[in-house]
Amino acid sequence: MIEVAQLRKEYGDLVAVDTISFTAETGAIFGLLGPNGAGKTTTIGCISGLLEPTAGAVRVRGHDVVREGAQAKASLGVVPQEIALYEDLSASENVRFWGQAYGLGGSELRARITDVLEITGLLDRAGDRVDQFSGGMKRRLNFACGIVHEPQVLLLDEPTVGVDPQSRVRLLDLVREQANQGVCVLYTTHYMEEAQSLCDRLAIIDHGHVIAQGSLGDLQAQMGERDLVRVSGSFDESELHRAFGRDGDVEVVTVDDVQATLSVRKASSKLPALLAALTEAGSEVRDITVSQPSLESLFIKLTGKELRE
Amino acid sequence: MRFLLATATKDLVRRRRDSLALLLWAGIPLAIGGLIFLAFGGDNAGPSGRLLVADQDNTVLSGLLSSVYQQGPLAEIIEVEAVDLEAGRERIDGGEASGLLIIPEGFSSAVLNSEPFEISLVRNPAQRIVPGIIEESLSLVVESTFYVQRLFGEPLDIIAATQPVGANIVPDSTVASISVAFNQIVGRTRPYLFPPVIELEMKSTAEDEDGFDFARLFFPSMLFMALLFMAQGLSEDIWRERSQGTLRRVIVTPQRVATFLAGKLLAGAMLMLIVIGLGLIVGRWVFGIELHGLPIALVWTTIAGMMLLALMVLVQLFASSERAGNILTGAAIFPLAMLGGSFFPFEVMPDWLASVGRYTPNGWALAKLNQVFAGDLGAFDLIRAIGFVTLVIAVLTWLAMRRIRGRFAHS
Repeated sequence: MIEVAQLRKEYGDLVAVDTISFTAETGAIFGLLGPNGAGKTTTIGCISGLLEPTAGAVRVRGHDVVREGAQAKASLGVVPQEIALYEDLSASENVRFWGQAYGLGGSELRARITDVLEITGLLDRAGDRVDQFSGGMKRRLNFACGIVHEPQVLLLDEPTVGVDPQSRVRLLDLVREQANQGVCVLYTTHYMEEAQSLCDRLAIIDHGHVIAQGSLGDLQAQMGERDLVRVSGSFDESELHRAFGRDGDVEVVTVDDVQATLSVRKASSKLPALLAALTEAGSEVRDITVSQPSLESLFIKLTGKELRE
Repeated sequence: MRFLLATATKDLVRRRRDSLALLLWAGIPLAIGGLIFLAFGGDNAGPSGRLLVADQDNTVLSGLLSSVYQQGPLAEIIEVEAVDLEAGRERIDGGEASGLLIIPEGFSSAVLNSEPFEISLVRNPAQRIVPGIIEESLSLVVESTFYVQRLFGEPLDIIAATQPVGANIVPDSTVASISVAFNQIVGRTRPYLFPPVIELEMKSTAEDEDGFDFARLFFPSMLFMALLFMAQGLSEDIWRERSQGTLRRVIVTPQRVATFLAGKLLAGAMLMLIVIGLGLIVGRWVFGIELHGLPIALVWTTIAGMMLLALMVLVQLFASSERAGNILTGAAIFPLAMLGGSFFPFEVMPDWLASVGRYTPNGWALAKLNQVFAGDLGAFDLIRAIGFVTLVIAVLTWLAMRRIRGRFAHS
């Protein structure tokens, strides 16, 4: 279990993580969802002991990562965002070294090397040098090195970045298997679909702040029955706010000269009225898209911007 | 301990696969050794030079003076050639000889009359060793002349009084008087000379026995040059560890960064052991260089190499990029090599420069290695030196660890 309390990390004047708190439970996948630069990797860095927090506390299975670093790290498995492997060593030599870094040795280590290479589908390439591997194979090996010591807490920092669809599916299956085996998994991503399909609980993070957290159901409930309506054309911002300011069913999320995003209760049944109101407000509508409530629509609602911006 | 060995093994396996670098490192001492072998004829031949003698006195005594260089070991080094003064000056100006000895007219008379005299030696400034030998030998002869004058003043006075300078025939009566005078002097000095009042203990060093061995002189420097290049090459690996993310990955394991660094140093030391071992074998058995205490020399050189590696790693950690690291270590390596006797042995450096160079890490370690080869480093001194180097390595590793944890791994 991971407990993060009032965590803050500063780099000079820059606040990368600003007093965030969450708890990741055993046997579940906790997702940190946010755009690039939101503070996800810094948070993982503080939990893994790579970075020292400026303030706040992080406990891994009850051990403070600053004061009891060795105990906390012993139960941690880390799969970094970058592929952290020795390219001039073979797959099995890489797994062996990282297993030894966690104190494994002898027959236990040999058995684990075989196990993790098998579950990542790399056993037949165990003796090949990593510089001969594809990007997807390297990602899987990166994962294998993170779980060779059977960690009770697993930190995965965007493990599917740049991975082909086949390897991505395989990696996500491996992550689910870890959680099913009772491992506490902390998973960071900026892929909304990944977070939605994989995570039991989520924290949405932006500019170093947690802006929403809970189960997928909790977060979707925050959107209520509201759909997200994206309208392209030309708009008068003040007129639009005046037109929908007193309408409880329609909320203006963002608006500029060429695009408006509206949060609308049961949008499909209100589209004709909505279009009429837009025209009355001096808008010219060229295109309109309706999205069902999702993490992405929640993110847009909370931050006013797309997740991938 | 297990992780230290795991790190060392991992690095050794990686190095084995980078066979080109390994060959280059092993090739450095071999290549330099080969060059020395070729440069000095491969037969351990000593230095040689030509001494021009402009004898303006042209007497038996002046002839005796120049004949000093034509006897014994000096004859193997110095070739004496009689010249007139003008030609001699021309040739020494043209760098055609190691020195020009000018014996002025009246030299013989001055010696016999116990008067001051002046002999000029013009040295070739482009050479150091042979002109040095000529000058030292000349000083000895001049000093000996002073004592001969003191001891045999009486018979010399007889010679001076009865024999016109430059004449070759001495009257029988004069010869008899001189002989008597010599006999009396020997009789007076016999109690002091046979046996001598001063006991002189002759101790031969290895160098004395082997004669002047240039390959032996350059060989330790050559080993340290190889160590410096290896230390620089191996230290670059810390940048690869950083760029491929493995350094950050090590930090998030329960292991200490210091253990990881120590493992890397150990792997470097193993490689140095192999290269230096190979160098010693080649030096001793291929080039026939007379070296003593080879196992101790191997251990000492390896530990010293480890210290140089730790130093280079620390220098790399203060650079802003891998390229800057290479420039920075290069900028450190060359002055260290030049000053610390790793390019030119201390023996051929000016004294003041050599004394400065002995304070550089490689210069200090090289001086100890020379002591090992000469059999002059006692067990206590060796243990003390190893202890000191170990302490330096520990301090450098601690500083490197602080740097890695503080900024290097994260930037």
